[in-house]
Amino acid sequence: MITVAIAKGRMQEDAIALLAKAGVELHPAALASRRLAVEDSSGNYRFIFVKPMDVPVYVEHGIADCGFVGRDVILETQADVLIPLDLGIARCQLVVAAIEKDVLNRSLGMLRIATKYTHLASLHFGALGIPVEIISLSGSVELAPVLGLADAIVDLTETGRTLKENGLSVVDVISESTGRFVVNRASYQLKAEAMSSLTESIERVLEVASK
Amino acid sequence: MSVSKIPSGMRYYIGPEAQLRRWIEDQTMSIFQGWSYEEIITPSVDYYSLFEQGMGQAEARTAFRFTDNDGHLLSLRPDVTSSIARVAATMLARAPRPLRFCYASPVFRQQLQSRAEWRRENTQLGCELIGSNGSTSDVEVLLVAAEILSRVGLADESIITLSHAGIFDGLFNEAGLDQDSRLEIQGLLNSMDETGLKNFFTQRQIATDVAESILLLLQLSGREEVLIQARQSISNSRSLAALDALQKRWTVIHSLGLENRFSLDLADVSGLQYYTGMIFKIYIAGAGYRVGRGGRYDGLTSKFGVEEPAVGFVLSLDALTEVLSRHNRNLVMDSSECTSVKGADLKTTFREALARRARQDQIRIEVPE
Repeated sequence: MITVAIAKGRMQEDAIALLAKAGVELHPAALASRRLAVEDSSGNYRFIFVKPMDVPVYVEHGIADCGFVGRDVILETQADVLIPLDLGIARCQLVVAAIEKDVLNRSLGMLRIATKYTHLASLHFGALGIPVEIISLSGSVELAPVLGLADAIVDLTETGRTLKENGLSVVDVISESTGRFVVNRASYQLKAEAMSSLTESIERVLEVASK
Repeated sequence: MSVSKIPSGMRYYIGPEAQLRRWIEDQTMSIFQGWSYEEIITPSVDYYSLFEQGMGQAEARTAFRFTDNDGHLLSLRPDVTSSIARVAATMLARAPRPLRFCYASPVFRQQLQSRAEWRRENTQLGCELIGSNGSTSDVEVLLVAAEILSRVGLADESIITLSHAGIFDGLFNEAGLDQDSRLEIQGLLNSMDETGLKNFFTQRQIATDVAESILLLLQLSGREEVLIQARQSISNSRSLAALDALQKRWTVIHSLGLENRFSLDLADVSGLQYYTGMIFKIYIAGAGYRVGRGGRYDGLTSKFGVEEPAVGFVLSLDALTEVLSRHNRNLVMDSSECTSVKGADLKTTFREALARRARQDQIRIEVPE
C-alpha cells in the first residue's frame, strides 16, 4: 500500500482531482467524512490529510511514501525529499508586503518582519544584508503591520486580495511557488515499481493538461 | 536547566534494545573480519583541520568544536574515514597494500542532516579498502555490504543503489560548469528537482544536448536496461568510461544471482565532489532515509600526501537497530535461564552464587534483595 500525504486547504481539491484523472479515485463518502486517513476504492492507496507544513515531515520520515505540497513549504521546512514533479497547481508568490511602499528603502537599522516562513524570510533579508527581527506567527499575518507588530510581512499571495483588503501592498517578490509531487527517498527505491507507475500516471495527466 | 533533560539528537539504549544493537555490531564486525578487514580504533577527539582536509569544509563544519590547551582547534570526530586516510598516508605509508580496515565507532555531528536523520551521535559501521584499484575491490565491498544486510535479516527489505561519479562529472565538464554551479546542480539532482534543473539550464545557457542527457539520467533507475538507455544519450568519453565500469560491476553481480539486492539509479549521487568512481547508497524498509553510503574516493589519501586508490562504505548502526527493534523478530536469543540464588545469610548466598557462576557460564543468576 502507498500512503499519500495531501496538504489541507488550497491544494487539496486540485490534488484530489489530479489523482482522480491519474486513475486513483477516492470515494465521495470518504471525502465527505471528517476522517484524516482514508483509502481509495482499489485499496492500493491510503490518503492522509495534514497541514501543509507537516506534509514534508511525513514524507521525509517515510510514514507517507509521497505527498502533494507547495514548493514554498518544501523550502521553508528544508525537507530532504525527492521533488520529481511540478504540478502547476496552487500557483502563488512568496512576497514582502507592507503598508508603506518604500519600507525597504528607509534605511531602518532593524526591520521587524512577521511571517509563517521564518527560514525563507531570514534567508531573503540575509542575502540583501538587511538586519531583521523575525516575528513568527501561525496565521492572519496581514494583521501584524496594521496593528504595528511588524514593519512588513513575508507571506504567500495568490491574487493579492487579502493584502489589499488589509491595506498592504507588495514591495518585493521573493519567489514563485507551485504545488509539487514529493517522494520519500527510501520509498522511491524500495517501492520502485509502484512509485514510478504513480509518478508516470500523474505526469501523463499533466502532459494532457498542458496541451 | 533541568537535570532530567538530555541534549537533542542523543538517546539511551536500554536492555533488549542495547542487546540487539550489540548483536548487530558483533555480526557486522565478524563479517568484516571474515573478509580480512582489520579493526581500527581511531581517536574520538582530533584536530579540526584533519576533518577539513578529509571531508571538505562544508561537511566538516558540522563537527562539535573546542580548543586545545595550546589554542589549536579540536573536534569530536564527525567521521572515521579522514583519520584512516591520514594513518594510511603517514604511519602506514610503507605498509604492504592493500590495507583493509573496519570499525564500529560513534561519530558526532552538530547539524541535523534532516529531520528524519535526527541523531547527533551516530555509530558508524564501516570499512575501507586502500591501495587496490579496479573492479575487484569495488565488487568486494558491495558484497560485504550485502552480506551484512542478509545476516541481520534484511536481505528482502533492503536495496543497494549503484551509480558512478564519472557519469555526471563527464556531463558537467561538457557543460563547462564551474565549482559553484556544480554544487548547485548536485543539490538539484539530489532532490530529483526536474523543474529546478530546467531553470538552471536556462539560466546558465547549457547546451541542449547535455541538458537533455542530464534530464534523461534523472529518470533512469532499474536494472541493466538503464545502462543501455544511458549510453544512447551520452557521447563524452569520461561518462562512457564510467558506464563501462558500472556495466562491468553489474555483470558480476548479475552472474552471482544477486541482482535483486541491487539496483542502478544513476542520479542517486549525493557527495559527487568527494567520490571519484563507483557510488552506492543503502536503503532499508522502515527508515525513510539512506542508512548507508559508500564508494570509491581515489583522491582521499592524496590530501595527506600519498596518492592511492580507496573504496569503502558506512552503515548506521543506530538506524539498523531502530528498524530491527521495531520489527520485533527476536534476532537475539536470550537462551540462558535465570536462577534465583538465596541462602540463609550473605555468606551462603554468595558462596552458592560463585559456585553456580563457576560451574556454568551460560546460566544466569540473580541475587534477590
